[in-house]
Amino acid sequence: MRILIVEDEKKLCDLIERALKAERFAVDAATDGNAGWRLADSYDYDLIILDLMLPGMSGAEILQRIRRRNQQVPVLILTAQDATEEKVRNFEAGADDYLTKPFAFAELLMRVKALLRRAPTSRAAVLRVADLEIDRMFQQVKRAGRKIELTPKEYALLEYLATNPGRVFSRAMIIEHVWDQSFEGLTNIVDVYVRHLRRKVDDPFPTKLIRTVRGVGYSLGESAKA
Amino acid sequence: MNTRSLGFRLVIWYASLLTVIFVLLGMLTLIYLRHYLEANVLDIQARRAQQIADTLLADLDRTGESALAKEVEDLYSPAANERFIRITAADGRVLYASGIPNDHSFDPSRVPVLRLASEIQRFRKENAPGSALLIATLRYPPTSGAHSNAGHGYIVEVGASVQRTEFTLSRVFLMLAVGLPVAVSVAVAGGFALVRRALRPVERITLKAEAITHHNLSERLPEMHTGDELERLSRSLNHMISRLEDAIQSSKRFVADASHELRTPLTVLRGELEGLAQDEQLRPPTRETLGSMLEEVDRLAEVVEGLLALSRLDAGEGQAESVRFNLAELVATTSDQMSLLAEDKNITIVREGERDVTVEGDRARLKQVIVNLLDNAIKYTPNGGRVRLKIAHEDGYAILEVADDGIGIPQEALPHVFKRFYRADNSRSRGQGGAGLGLSIVKSICAAHGVTVEVASVPGAGSRFRLKFPQPIPQDAQNSQELELQ
Repeated sequence: MRILIVEDEKKLCDLIERALKAERFAVDAATDGNAGWRLADSYDYDLIILDLMLPGMSGAEILQRIRRRNQQVPVLILTAQDATEEKVRNFEAGADDYLTKPFAFAELLMRVKALLRRAPTSRAAVLRVADLEIDRMFQQVKRAGRKIELTPKEYALLEYLATNPGRVFSRAMIIEHVWDQSFEGLTNIVDVYVRHLRRKVDDPFPTKLIRTVRGVGYSLGESAKA
Repeated sequence: MNTRSLGFRLVIWYASLLTVIFVLLGMLTLIYLRHYLEANVLDIQARRAQQIADTLLADLDRTGESALAKEVEDLYSPAANERFIRITAADGRVLYASGIPNDHSFDPSRVPVLRLASEIQRFRKENAPGSALLIATLRYPPTSGAHSNAGHGYIVEVGASVQRTEFTLSRVFLMLAVGLPVAVSVAVAGGFALVRRALRPVERITLKAEAITHHNLSERLPEMHTGDELERLSRSLNHMISRLEDAIQSSKRFVADASHELRTPLTVLRGELEGLAQDEQLRPPTRETLGSMLEEVDRLAEVVEGLLALSRLDAGEGQAESVRFNLAELVATTSDQMSLLAEDKNITIVREGERDVTVEGDRARLKQVIVNLLDNAIKYTPNGGRVRLKIAHEDGYAILEVADDGIGIPQEALPHVFKRFYRADNSRSRGQGGAGLGLSIVKSICAAHGVTVEVASVPGAGSRFRLKFPQPIPQDAQNSQELELQ
């Protein structure tokens, strides 16, 4: 799998490159629009990560050119502007996904994988993490064979964490997926729900599955797993 | 009618001025006319006196004094013509005096007899009972002062009643008294029409200027090509709007640039720190430090987000859509979603009031308002407290109240709670988290929706935020209005 990153901020570009390489992707990087377009034009990439504000050719221009050549390559837009109209314009121009800075790298990786159809968001009817079983059809949760009663929000939170075991989810990601944008900035609500979830899912059992990574967020999985 | 309006004031001024001028002119006319008419009457009397002297007195030696009375009666019949004629000898004997006139307008016997010694006035006005008399006096034979012989000669007095003159004057006065109000009314009506015509462009400029907000700054006022002050005014206003538009454009650009400049380093910072924090080999103190740094990055990001959200709201994005929805329902679902926050502190959320209150606006933004207010209420209410949500209709407004029995807000802080970064008490609030922008965002969103926000608080007893939504026109009423327009 080969990914192109076009991002003018050298450090950010390097960081994304490192993170993607750690996930065993082949990565090309360009730090200005013209170089980015040359690369995008010359090779067949599986995914392009594109910053909108670039020196030389703008991200929007590159996106237009890619789409004019009718390439079906998925494009993930990175931007510092999150005005809704801008988002709509870029989706119309052919962007496949959109990430507003500052973003959590965990989120970037998840979106990349989702776009590459390596389906971390498995649609499996039953999710299993260690001895925890989540039945998506009936929204039922069992651990070690014992049924656990959860409220709808607690269930949504647990299911979201379980889509990618071991991966750390930031509070902002959780809020966006489990609640909605009105709750942006209200990160303490996540902590409260995780505490309640722990009381039901972890407290009665010797092995703890919900892990806190300070300053980053939460993950679900056996604690030995990175 | 607006009595402060320019048109009204102009017309009033001009009507008053016109009235004053008319009154003065009328008075002058009357005075002059009286003078002219009286001079005219006296002139006639003087001529008649001369006639009497020339024809009758000159022949007196021949005819004799006794025949004089009859001759005067025959020639002038003063009673029938409402005249006063008297002939007196120099020694004071009255040779002839006319009788009471047929119309009884004066009594000749009451006109004092002249003594020759006294100064003889050629013209005088005698205020006889009934009506004043204008009398011309003539001496016969005419004498110059030096050769005057006191015991010799006659005095002829001829007069007429002022009645006729007074009648003419009163007619003229009546005409003026009726004509003046009519003339002023016509002038006022004409003035109104003129002023309205002259001010119509002002009305057009005003209407257009009121319709221009920061959403449609690219629009301009209608240019008047009248070549007058209004053309200059409209042109200057348009220049001003252009400058405003430029200023707002550049501030929007600034926000976009600043957001880029701040967000990118934050992304790098967070990415680097996240990478480090997930290293399993780290010693616990290092991990703690990294976690703390990440928390600060989050807070910084939150402040940037809040500021950008506010500047977007300032730029007029407070209401992206306008839909009708049930406010009570939105409040209910939002408070359900946040119930765990309250439960965590053993706080009861009480919902009361009506179940079906329709408002119009941007649902997502208004939800954010409810979230922020509810979050605040829960945050500042101690364990085991109560938060009350009330929805009501009141004089055509939809009302939402969020009240808590928490620590309250000091009186002196109340006017400032909606200001950016304002904290009633630094040490306390910072511990509760948040960037200090929540209420500013509430205020901005509400302002964009025409919703007024009021806050009341008793320190130690709780605070109450009250939102007053303008009620949308009922759907069917609006439909019928649209039909009428078609």
